Amino acid sequence: MALAMVSCNNDKIEVYKIPKDGINVAIQSESEGLAPPPGNPAQWTKPDGWSEQPLSEMRLGSFKVDGSNSASADVSVIAFPGEAGGLISNINRWRGQLQLAPLDEDQLAQRTQRTEVDNVPTYLVDFQTAENAPKPSRILGAVFQSADRTWFVKMTGPPELLERQHQNFLDFVKSFRFSSPAVIEPPAPAAPIKPKSTNDE
Amino acid sequence: MTSESLRWLKPLTSLKLTIFCLACAMVLVFIGTLDQVHIGVYEAENRYFKSLFLFFTLPGTHVRVPWFPGGYIVGTLLLVNLLVAHIARFKLRWKKAGILLLHSGLILLLVGQLFADIFIDMESQMRLDQGQTKNYSESLYHDELAITDTTGADADQVISVPESQLYRGNRIELPVDSLEVVIQEYYPNAALVSPSQLPAPSYPHLPIGPMAVAVQMEKTYKENERNQPAATVSILQHGNLIGSWSLAAGFPRPLSFQAAGKTCQIALRPKRFYKPFAIQLLQFRHDRYAGTDIAKNFSSRIKLTDPARHEDRESLIFMNNPLRYRGYTFFQAGFDNNDTTTVLQVAQNPSWLVPYISCALIVLGMLLQFGMHLVSFVKRRVIA
Repeated sequence: MALAMVSCNNDKIEVYKIPKDGINVAIQSESEGLAPPPGNPAQWTKPDGWSEQPLSEMRLGSFKVDGSNSASADVSVIAFPGEAGGLISNINRWRGQLQLAPLDEDQLAQRTQRTEVDNVPTYLVDFQTAENAPKPSRILGAVFQSADRTWFVKMTGPPELLERQHQNFLDFVKSFRFSSPAVIEPPAPAAPIKPKSTNDE
Repeated sequence: MTSESLRWLKPLTSLKLTIFCLACAMVLVFIGTLDQVHIGVYEAENRYFKSLFLFFTLPGTHVRVPWFPGGYIVGTLLLVNLLVAHIARFKLRWKKAGILLLHSGLILLLVGQLFADIFIDMESQMRLDQGQTKNYSESLYHDELAITDTTGADADQVISVPESQLYRGNRIELPVDSLEVVIQEYYPNAALVSPSQLPAPSYPHLPIGPMAVAVQMEKTYKENERNQPAATVSILQHGNLIGSWSLAAGFPRPLSFQAAGKTCQIALRPKRFYKPFAIQLLQFRHDRYAGTDIAKNFSSRIKLTDPARHEDRESLIFMNNPLRYRGYTFFQAGFDNNDTTTVLQVAQNPSWLVPYISCALIVLGMLLQFGMHLVSFVKRRVIA
C-alpha cells in the first residue's frame, strides 16, 4: 500500500485556490524565456505629450500620442530574446502592415539608418503607405540589438502627425538605457542553463 | 509466538534473504552510480532507488519489462525481514540489548525514508529578482499544465495537471465545470527558435507566437540544464471545443479563454508549490575577497509576510544559515542576472530529525554490543 502510494504520489490532478493578487505574484521568469523579466531591463524617458497606456502581454511600453482632429498615433515597445527572427524579416513585417513590398538585403541597407544608442546597435526606419493608398499611414521604427534580446520600438499613425512627432520619436529612442552589456551573442537553441550555484565557486 | 504461525513466516526470517537483499542493494548502487554519469543524480535516484523495478523497453515497442528489483522492493524486503526476524526470535535479554537497539535504528531509518518519500513535497526553488515578491516555489524537474479560473473576487482557482498525464492523444477529464483537456502534441523538451530557423517549413514544430516556434529536442539530464516541454492542447466543455493552443514552458505566458462565462488562463510551466506566506527579496549580496573574484559570502535579505500569523519581518539568509518557517527551510542555493536574482532552495521535511535519531541508536547499539563483548572478554582474561 505504502509502495503503491510512493509510486503514484505525483500523478494526480490537483485543484486548489490561491489568494488573488494580495501580494504581487509575478509570472515566473526563466531568464532565457521569451517573457521579459519583471524588472524591465531597459529604461527610457517618455516625451511630453505622450500618454501611457495599459501594458498588454507583449508590450513592455505602450503610449498614445494625440494629434489634431482626433487623430492619434500608437507607440509600442516590445522585446524578444536573441535575434527574434532577424532584422530583415521584422522590417518586412512592418512594411507588410503598410502594404509595401518586402526589401532585400541591399535595399534594407539603403533604407535603414544605422546608429548606436547606449552602445547598442540600433536601426532606424521610416516607411509610409503608397501615395494613392485609401488610408495613409506611416511607421517610424527602431530596432535595438542588445546583448540578449532584440527590442522593437514602433510608432504608427497618420503621416502628418508622425511628421510632427518625428523629433519626439528620435528623442525617445535615444533615451533608451540597457542594463545588460551590449555584446551580441548568437541565440542558443539549447535547453536553458540553470542559475549559478553557490557551490560552484 | 506459536511454532504453527511461525512456519509460514520462516522464509521471511531467513538470513539468506538478508544477504540476497544486501547483494541486490550493492548491484543497484553499482549500476546506479555508473548510469548517473549519463542521466544525472536526480534521474538515477528515481530509476534505481525510488522505484519498484528496473525496466527495459522491448526494442521497437513501448512495452517495459521489469528485470531487477528497484530500491523500494529491496528496502521493503529488508525491513520486513528485519521486523519478522525480531518478532520470530524475540527474546528480551540484556545480552541482546545492543543488537535490539542497533536494529531499531535501522528500522527507523528505513521507515523514515519511506515516510519522507510518500508524504513530503518535492524539493523546489524560489527564484526572486530584487524587489520581487512570491508566494510559491517551483519544481526543478517537473512541469504542470495549469488552468486558472480568475473569475473569483478574492481567490483564483488553479487546476494543475501533472506532466505524467501530458502525452500525445491523452484525454483528461478535469474535476470542474465538465472541462476536458486533449493533448494533441507533446514535446518533453523543446527549443524555441524563430520560424526562419526551421530547416524547412514542413519540419515538425509547434507555433508558440508570431516570432517563435517550438522544435523537439532530446531530453536533457545535465545538472545545469532543465527540460522545457511544449504542447498543443485543446479544451472542451460538454464535448464542445472551446479552443486549441500551443504552449511552451520556455515562454510561460498564460493565454486567456472564456468557458461558461468564466475567464480562465492556461499555461505550461514549472510545477508550483504555493505557500501560505510571501517572501520578497530586498537585497542579494555576493561579497568577494578584496582584490579577487573569490566568493566570500552569498546572502539574501528578505521580507517575510504572513498575514494569518501577523508576521511581517526581515530576515537574512546566507550559507549555513537558512530561514526556517512553518516547516519549510529556505537555503541560499544560487544567483543569476549579474547578482540581482537570488535562488533559494526550499525544503520541507518534518522527519529531518529521523536520520539523526536512527544513527544515534545504531551507534549506541554498537557501543553496547561491542562493549559487553569487551567486558566479558576482559573478565575471562582476568580469571584465566
